[in-house]
Amino acid sequence: MRGENLGELEELVLLTVGSLVNDAYAVVILQEILDNTRRKIDVTAIHSVLRRLEGKGFVYSEMGGASRERGGRRKRYFSLTKSGRQVLDETMELRYRLYQKLPKFTFSGL
Amino acid sequence: MNGHPPRLADRFLEWFCDPYLLEDLQGDLYELYESNLNKGRLKADSKYWWLVLRSFRWSALKKNRKLKNSGLMITKNNFRIAWRVLWRDRFNTSINLLGLTIGIACFVLLGLYVQQELSYDQFHSKKSRIYRSWLKEDYGEGQIFINSHTPLRFESFFEDNFPEVEKSVQYIQQTYLVGRGEGRINERVAIISPDFFEVFDFNIIEGNKQLLRSPDDIVLSQAYAKKYFGDLDPIGKSLAVQIGSEVRNFNVSSVFQDLPQTSSMSFEMAISTENNSNLFGERTLKAWFSVIAETYVLVKENASVASIEGKMQEVVLSEMGEAGYGDGPIQEGQYDIRMQPLTDIHLNPDVPLGNAPVANPQYVFILAAIGLLVLVIACINYTTLAVGQSLKRGREVGIRKVMGAHRGTLVYQYLSESILLGFMAMVIGVTIALFLIPTFNTLTGTAIFYAFHWWHAFVFLGIGLIIGIISGIYPALILSGFKTIKILQGNLKLGKLTLRKSLVVFQFLITVFLISTTLVIQKQVKFLQSKDLGIDYEAVISTQLYADPAADRISQRIATAMENGQLLKSKLEQNAEISKIAMGTHVFGTSGWANLAYTDDKGVFRWFRLLVVDAHYLDAFGISMKEGRAFEEGNGLDLRQSVILNEKAVAHFGLEDPIGKKLPGSEFGDHQIIGVAEDFHFSSLHTEIEPLVIVQNIIPIVTGVSDGDIVDSITPKLVFTYSGSDLTKATEILKREWESVFPNESWNFNFIDEQIKSQYENEARMNRLIAVATFLSILIAALGLLGLSLLVVNSKVKEIGIRKVLGASIFSIFRLLAKDFSIQIVIAIILSVPLTVVLMNEWLENFAYRTDIGVGLFIVSGVVSMLVAVMVISYHTLRAAKVNPVQSLRTE
Repeated sequence: MRGENLGELEELVLLTVGSLVNDAYAVVILQEILDNTRRKIDVTAIHSVLRRLEGKGFVYSEMGGASRERGGRRKRYFSLTKSGRQVLDETMELRYRLYQKLPKFTFSGL
Repeated sequence: MNGHPPRLADRFLEWFCDPYLLEDLQGDLYELYESNLNKGRLKADSKYWWLVLRSFRWSALKKNRKLKNSGLMITKNNFRIAWRVLWRDRFNTSINLLGLTIGIACFVLLGLYVQQELSYDQFHSKKSRIYRSWLKEDYGEGQIFINSHTPLRFESFFEDNFPEVEKSVQYIQQTYLVGRGEGRINERVAIISPDFFEVFDFNIIEGNKQLLRSPDDIVLSQAYAKKYFGDLDPIGKSLAVQIGSEVRNFNVSSVFQDLPQTSSMSFEMAISTENNSNLFGERTLKAWFSVIAETYVLVKENASVASIEGKMQEVVLSEMGEAGYGDGPIQEGQYDIRMQPLTDIHLNPDVPLGNAPVANPQYVFILAAIGLLVLVIACINYTTLAVGQSLKRGREVGIRKVMGAHRGTLVYQYLSESILLGFMAMVIGVTIALFLIPTFNTLTGTAIFYAFHWWHAFVFLGIGLIIGIISGIYPALILSGFKTIKILQGNLKLGKLTLRKSLVVFQFLITVFLISTTLVIQKQVKFLQSKDLGIDYEAVISTQLYADPAADRISQRIATAMENGQLLKSKLEQNAEISKIAMGTHVFGTSGWANLAYTDDKGVFRWFRLLVVDAHYLDAFGISMKEGRAFEEGNGLDLRQSVILNEKAVAHFGLEDPIGKKLPGSEFGDHQIIGVAEDFHFSSLHTEIEPLVIVQNIIPIVTGVSDGDIVDSITPKLVFTYSGSDLTKATEILKREWESVFPNESWNFNFIDEQIKSQYENEARMNRLIAVATFLSILIAALGLLGLSLLVVNSKVKEIGIRKVLGASIFSIFRLLAKDFSIQIVIAIILSVPLTVVLMNEWLENFAYRTDIGVGLFIVSGVVSMLVAVMVISYHTLRAAKVNPVQSLRTE
């Protein structure tokens, strides 16, 4: 179905948004992904993905929390919407189902 | 905040970024900048710049109202609507698309042909600085000689006397026997300067990178390396070439890439001009009046060819010194050397032929014009149909206007439809054209070769855009010009539509004109190929004889070749199907028979053609005598000194009662005119019959002439007539007998009738090209008419119904519907007559012998176009006329 497929980066960002309850804005998401996966992603890419996810209705954003080091500019906090949660569940379930079908050992070396 | 990020970057971000997204994005970037500051200011600044630039994405752009109402946004919307409109009206769309596609395919194919003709020699990187020199000698009294072959000394002449010249190279074409033992082949061998490839962009791909380092080197093209050495490595191998009486072994030093088709020069093997003293003798090297080589001059950068030409006379006079033509030294203006740009050679028939054939620029122009016309016809289809449709869309225009659309917006909207259609037709048409290239080549005898370059895509799209705009602009203006109030009142009328009607007339005018043109050209080609030439050449075969290689005088060459011919003749005579065996220096269907000149006893400079024959030649070709007698076998006087003239020659030399007299000149040897042959065409019908002198012994004539120009080989050919039914048998007999007499020479043959036909190959090819274009234009115009007639029928459904109720017959209804179109087509046919007559008479001027255009052909093209039109119109009209009036009148 159109708009319901998640790209790899989209999935990663969406999961991160979900895990950072009430504290998810771009810079933190960036840091969180860096900490968890050692992947250095451009902040502009994060912004672009977040806008896409918002367009698909998986996340929802509100403004708040200005600070001095931001030149007095507010942050855009993201949180997971219902359908965002749903698409994550479906993705995970699909992966798990497929994963279950793997043989217990791989014999590629023998 | 400690320190501010780069202000310029910041302003750029604020300028492009959507305000809705700006605050948090900028905040995030500041935050990162702040944390980057501890790595150094410079690093943080550049990182900030980088992130700003990376933020410049479609999703972040400011999409304010200004953007939404113009440019890309509106275009996207326009095209979406255009697509829907085109889809809704599929019948008309497919007619338009088909017409445009055919038009574009035809345009592209003809365009490729024209482009290829125009691209000759354009691939040389120094092309703008390369010139070919040509020679114009004018000694008054009609003693004018024009040659693009020049003396051998010209190479150093240019290099030594003109500081503007960077390099000068020569290119000579000769025919030599190549190979050893059996299977020796007569090949054209180029003799080129060792620095030839420094002027021209030809590439050595194997062997020594330096061209022709020694006089014993020979270079081959890829194709010829394969021909002579197969898959073996040719470098260092030897190749035998017979030059004069000596067989020399040349060493293959390198292989060059096959010359492109668009090169006016074409050679497959080349040796060095350092052999010249060997090949031509020391005297010729220094001669001013023996023209042998094409001389190409590379002018220095920043130097102009005009300055060379400016001081040409001065240099010529001082260089030539005492050398002169006739008595005394050369005078100013008598010996003029001119420069022709390299890229001008292929399409300039005014400069005489060099080593390469020259195409007729008139034909290239005609084909370009026809390609364009066919495209125009296709564009008109769209225009007329769209105008016809516009009434239906009146309400749409009204609503748009009420909602506040400007006229410009509407024009843009309607243009999107035609542009979209133009693009679609372009893609399909180009694809079809490219697939059809091989078919087109075989059908028309052209040799188009297409290689795609990425910029072609832009050219094609550009053409698509132009086609879209041209065909769509008129209907767009009409549609957008409707008065809102009239539309809403429901009394919208299109007016008289004079322009639309004239477009239809114009379309048919071109179509009828093309039909007539095809017919005229066909008539002329048929006329040329079937005109009685005054000779019998049915089933006559000629074969080129060999002269003794050691013979270097012309008379010896002719004599030894005729001796060889006698051997072959005695063998051929034993075959019952072979008769009328004869020999002569020239045969029919070749141009450039020996052309000689002398100054007669009244001081008049005269040219005439010379043919040397045996006693049977005239008889073999059925040439009849007007006066006197023909040559007799075994008559010693005939063999030595008898002369036969054609009628033209009698008039040319001003002879009355010529039998027994001599040619009016003092230097000729003993000779006597014994007969006058009736005029016959020995050259192509492009030219008039010229004065011809026929002899068996060439010596008395050549001793009296001062100048000559021989293009066709003067070595005799043997001809015979085959009376059997299967001509391939004739060549088998020839092959068998040839090999028994000359086991070491390769045999060859030509059918005289084919040779004569091939003189008109250019005209025949153009005829085929135009025929294809004509067929396509008929198709396109018919498609347009089909669409138009449907429109008319649809707008008159009710009228037809009422008329039928009142008792109108099918025929009278058909007449009602077809009347308008018939008038337009009749006007087109009438207008086409003067157009065809003027343009075709111009073309026919090319021929000394031509057919008249005639009335019959206009009747044919008029009837054909009328028939096509009636057939197309009747498809819809008859259907409408047959409809039961109940159906068309039931609904209101």
